[in-house]
Amino acid sequence: MKKVIEVKNLTKEYKKLKAVDDLSFDVYKGEILGLLGPNGSGKSTTINCLLSLLNFSNGSIKIFDCDMKPDAYDLKRKIGVVFQDVSVFNELNVIDNIDYFCGLYIKDKITRKKYVDEAIELVGLTDFKKFYPKQLSGGLLRRLNIACGIAHKPEIIFLDEPTVAVDPQSRNNILDGIKKLRDNGATILYTTHYMEEVEILCDRVIILDKGKILASGTTDELKKMASTSEKVSVEVNDLDNKKIDKIKTLKNVDEVTYKDGILLINYKKGKNNLVDIIEFLKQENINYNKIYSERPTLNDVFLELTGKELRD
Amino acid sequence: MFIHNFKYTFKTLLKNKALIFWSFAFPIILGTLFNMAFSNISNTEKLDVIDIAIVNNEEFKINTMYVDTFKSLSDKDNNDQLFNTKYVSIKKAKKLLEDDKIDGYMVIKDNKPNLVFNKNGINQTILKYVVEEIQSNKIIINNLTNIEIENQINNGNYNIDYNEISKNVINKINSDVNIIDKSNKNTDFMMIEFYTLIAMTCLYGGMISMTAINQNLANISNRGKRIEVAPTKKSTIILSSLCSSYLIQLMGLLLLFIYTIFVLNVCYGNNLLLIILLSLVGSLTGLSLGLSVGVLTKKGEGTKIGILLAITMIGSFLSGMMGVTLKYIIDKNIPILNKINPASMITDGFYSLYYYSNLDRYYFNIVSLLIVSSILIILSVIKLRRNKYDSI
Repeated sequence: MKKVIEVKNLTKEYKKLKAVDDLSFDVYKGEILGLLGPNGSGKSTTINCLLSLLNFSNGSIKIFDCDMKPDAYDLKRKIGVVFQDVSVFNELNVIDNIDYFCGLYIKDKITRKKYVDEAIELVGLTDFKKFYPKQLSGGLLRRLNIACGIAHKPEIIFLDEPTVAVDPQSRNNILDGIKKLRDNGATILYTTHYMEEVEILCDRVIILDKGKILASGTTDELKKMASTSEKVSVEVNDLDNKKIDKIKTLKNVDEVTYKDGILLINYKKGKNNLVDIIEFLKQENINYNKIYSERPTLNDVFLELTGKELRD
Repeated sequence: MFIHNFKYTFKTLLKNKALIFWSFAFPIILGTLFNMAFSNISNTEKLDVIDIAIVNNEEFKINTMYVDTFKSLSDKDNNDQLFNTKYVSIKKAKKLLEDDKIDGYMVIKDNKPNLVFNKNGINQTILKYVVEEIQSNKIIINNLTNIEIENQINNGNYNIDYNEISKNVINKINSDVNIIDKSNKNTDFMMIEFYTLIAMTCLYGGMISMTAINQNLANISNRGKRIEVAPTKKSTIILSSLCSSYLIQLMGLLLLFIYTIFVLNVCYGNNLLLIILLSLVGSLTGLSLGLSVGVLTKKGEGTKIGILLAITMIGSFLSGMMGVTLKYIIDKNIPILNKINPASMITDGFYSLYYYSNLDRYYFNIVSLLIVSSILIILSVIKLRRNKYDSI
């Protein structure tokens, strides 16, 4: 696959704090690469360095094999950005906002009008064309923010936490829109601290913390890094220590905890773990309310790598 | 791209209510207040002649400008008589003031006029203003006389008659503008206040351009981030933003001129076109100042507004907008300050229309303002062209 972004040894320091620490990664044409990390892990700083908005202490950034600089206008023409904070004019309505930002890239009025209409349709704002930003809900405002960044049909799109504080309906709409952009050939760099979004959207993921890459790969590859392969939770009352000790002896069980009426069993590997535990509960005449099984998440991977939750 | 950014910047600025109030409504409100205040002075003056005393000491007698001016202002045959003046000893003056028979008295000591009042009011303000005006004119005449002496020395004439030169300067000024009459007419005093209002409006145009450019800066607004990552040349962004701001500023000025001429009946006389030209150039300088503070200062929007207001206020103060005497004190002691102060250039341009018959000094100020504007715009473009931030 063709490399469209090449980052080598990128380091950005704020006085003594290293916001980005010797970061190296590539982004390939047509993929969605997720940068996953908690707040303050260096995701937005990395994007701002890539866009040549921020000075950086060390490293190199190449986009389409060219150095990225503030006056690299030919490169900038191929890039679209959706910033974390809503970046629109409160004094302009929906259609004027999109037309203004699209017009910074597209000179031809007829083409621009077509692109603006397509962007409005993509983010589902057709009924709100004449609305001003203050008249839009948080979710609709986020959609407008996205439309302003992608209306000019860029080849590379930087999406910096575009779904923060968005209602589920708007989130689904936004995620669907991003998939459409990828299907239309765009390469996407997507930052978030929502692991569910990464799992739905991203072809590859880089997990960041304190400006460093902790792990990278596909979601499946990353999940394999977790020592736990399955987690089973059981809602059960009055479980004594003897029975908990018995559970610990069952096949594949790695760790057992019992707290506030929830029995949590971590399995290292293996199959039929859920069936085995149900069988055990029946044999021991233990009554339970609910029982469910979970595969390891990226949060588990992050927890194992850093000792803290993604959203800490 | 230029027209695209110009159009949308204009649209966003025009919908900024606070900005439009300060640019359009505030000068009009201030002009109305000036008009009301000075109309009252005029009415008071017509009704009452102010009783004053002047200490008739030797220093007063040799200050011919004071003698002549007060003589004229106290002339009972003059329809515009302002004062009923008693020329008395210091002891008598104090007694008259104590007995409330006069509103105040003036004594010249160490070549400086001192005013003594026992209360504050409109009569005291008028006397104070007249004395300040005479003192300012005296400084102007001294300066012009010194220049004339220097010219004569440079031309090899060492046989200099100071009194003759001084008389010629006074005659020359009196032939262009009658200083005594000017002190006597409130309409002329009001004109100076309106010049000041126009100059202030020009400089406060900086707020418009600063608001416009802040929209384009990544460290100030989120929209700025988006604009800075777009493939648009910074010079195009700056110049189109500046032109939009200029159009808004001109609309404000036009409104101010229409209002002062047709509603307040201010008569700008034969100088109207020159006043408009100076206002156009002054506005450009005000906008350039706002632009450069916006671009060259890497601080938050609030700090930038503070810096711009401070520069404008200090500049205006030093340029004599709040009392013409200070301008001439600076001219005499730190002339370079007035040469680089845009506010000073604007007011000096207006004063030159008021005090001088030829337009050399006026055009010098116009050219100086254009040079300052160009330097500020070029510096802003250079600074922004390859700009990257340490933090945003």
